[in-house]
Amino acid sequence: MAALEIDNVRKVFGSKTEVLKGINISIENGEFLILVGPSGCGKSTLMNSIAGLEDITDGRILIGGKDVSGSSPKDRDIAMVFQSYALYPSMNVRDNIAFGLEMRKVPKEDRLKEVDRVAKMLQIEHLLDRKPSQLSGGQRQRVAMGRALARKPKIYLFDEPLSNLDAKLRVEMRTEIKKLHQNLGTTIVYVTHDQIEAMTLADRIAVMKDGIVQQFGTPQEIYDEPANIFVAGFMGSPAMNFIPAPIQKEQDQLVAKVTTADGRTYSLPLGQRGAALKDYEGRQVILGVRPERISEVNITEVEREDVVVVRAKTEIVEPTGPDTLIHIDLNGVEVGCRVAPDSAVKAGEEMDFMVDLSKAVFFDSETEARI
Amino acid sequence: MVNTHMAQRSWGFWINRGIIHALLIAAALFYLLPLVVMLLTSFKTMGDIRAGNLISLPAEFVIEPWIKAWSSACTGVKCEGVGSYFFNSVQIVVPAVLISTAVGAINGYVLTKWRFRGSELFFGLLLFGCFIPFQVVLLPMAQTLGWLGLANTTAGLVLVHVAYGVAFTTLFFRNFYVNIPSELVKAAQLDGAGFFRIFWRILLPISGPIIVVTIIWQTTQIWNDFLFGVVYGSGDTQPITVALNNLVNTSTGIKEYNVHMAAAIIAGLPTLLVYVLAGKYFVRGLTAGSVKG
Ligand SMILES: Nc1ncnc2c1ncn2[C@@H]1O[C@H](COP(=O)(O)OP(=O)(O)OP(=O)(O)O)[C@@H](O)[C@H]1O
Ligand SMILES: [Mg+2]
Repeated sequence: MAALEIDNVRKVFGSKTEVLKGINISIENGEFLILVGPSGCGKSTLMNSIAGLEDITDGRILIGGKDVSGSSPKDRDIAMVFQSYALYPSMNVRDNIAFGLEMRKVPKEDRLKEVDRVAKMLQIEHLLDRKPSQLSGGQRQRVAMGRALARKPKIYLFDEPLSNLDAKLRVEMRTEIKKLHQNLGTTIVYVTHDQIEAMTLADRIAVMKDGIVQQFGTPQEIYDEPANIFVAGFMGSPAMNFIPAPIQKEQDQLVAKVTTADGRTYSLPLGQRGAALKDYEGRQVILGVRPERISEVNITEVEREDVVVVRAKTEIVEPTGPDTLIHIDLNGVEVGCRVAPDSAVKAGEEMDFMVDLSKAVFFDSETEARI
Repeated sequence: MVNTHMAQRSWGFWINRGIIHALLIAAALFYLLPLVVMLLTSFKTMGDIRAGNLISLPAEFVIEPWIKAWSSACTGVKCEGVGSYFFNSVQIVVPAVLISTAVGAINGYVLTKWRFRGSELFFGLLLFGCFIPFQVVLLPMAQTLGWLGLANTTAGLVLVHVAYGVAFTTLFFRNFYVNIPSELVKAAQLDGAGFFRIFWRILLPISGPIIVVTIIWQTTQIWNDFLFGVVYGSGDTQPITVALNNLVNTSTGIKEYNVHMAAAIIAGLPTLLVYVLAGKYFVRGLTAGSVKG
């Protein structure tokens, strides 16, 4: 049974500002859904709508198969971590965490036990007697998490819970949340701007833009088969390369043509994908290749049919540690390539690159949708 | 070199300081002068007042004028002092301040955290109440009090002051609550708290500064009110401001300036006291830290 079903939900503020334009998402019990999208695309609004804090203009929201579109927040059995923490300023940390339990008439002893359990888990035991104003940003964020975790709701909503933590604590908390999800098995909806958080935590990802879900799928689907250029460019870092390339027929086979800055032209075979691209013969498409698919030449793979070796002048060389990012010029656009640090040459020198087309994707240059 | 330079600078600094302080002290003295004159006069005998000048110290220090002002000076036909009117004022001010503050707090809470269709319009109309001159409401209000059977009663005066004050108290609380993040209310809703509990447990505990501001404002306004008191109060229910006026204007016999001054100070004392006691709580940010950024 679907734990959460969002059925054609629209939200209009005032009479004109349409923030959600027909959202459809459905997740199973215990799934971890991640909402990603640029700032202002409506993620928080969607979270508030699920929680019942905003009335939706149109559509339905079902929790555990029950239509809750008209129910009040407290009857939806949801716990939420707000983007702005929203800790009660007049209460100390202990009371902040226990407030929800108190409102639900949990006896005092059990409340204290629960507070201790949560505090231990989040390492905030030493902060229990402090007021929110006496905490650092990261500590506040953990208290806000604790307030949600003290209850056992049907769904947890997390609105960028880790955005204010330092890098180390962030990684720790990420693992902690993953463990938590595995132990509790509770359905979670989680907003983040962080690619890695999205990829590592999610069972499903919904990529949003301007109040529309661009793509809804598993992390691997989103990564390998992005629905359009926006999704492809949004997920993955460094971002996918988009190379405008003409499609031509050569020896009964469709190929995409690329030209380097110094005029060398290569034909990239489309293989089986040629069938889908039949109608595009003689036209320009946008070829999407992730940087890790353009690497130094490697003897074992270079024989493959969907691999082409391209010689090009390196323009910028950026070592990142585990590998080095090199920029070259193909068809007039800058293309990032990820090579092993040992095989990187100096900027300005020429180098052989191996373009692996097995995971390449093609987009219509007008609609920007994947072909 | 450096030292002389420093010394020069600090000379200039001290001269500046001196001038500023002298000006401030002069201004303070100027504003304090009426109070000083009143205080001095209230402790003088009538003979002393006639003989000396305004700011001379009392030749003979007497407290009889105070006693008389409180308990036996004539205010119109009665000669019982302003004491009983002082308590009339207390009986009007305390309930009127408490009720108008409470109503204003709830109004502000609703107008910011539970907006409804037309709540902005409602607030706009309410704001209008701040600009209505006293004189305009005099007759309709008298009519209304008559219908309610509250004419010439303390309850009637309380009602008038509450009705008039709610516009201001609502404005104060709305402007305070509008800066409190709505996420607090949302979080409490998800935690299962209802309308009144959220108000009581989450918002009220952080409303200290605005409650103090409102109480000071309302107390001063209502205590100092003369017009409503003279129009809607009568005889036994009149506030001290009206009694003071009657005392000063009673035309029989000589004008006892010492008694008048004592009565005037008695009439002004509570508002002074409110400022002294509560003034320091005026601006205290208690919400710091509840929100990110
Ligand atoms: N109460 C409101 N009235 C009018 N417009 C609103 C209201 N709340 C949000 N919006 C608008 O809705 C849009 C989406 O806001 P939302 O907070 O959902 O964005 P978001 O995706 O969470 O962004 P971020 O990543 O910055 O948190 C924004 O353009 C915002 O200005
Ligand atoms: Mg947001």
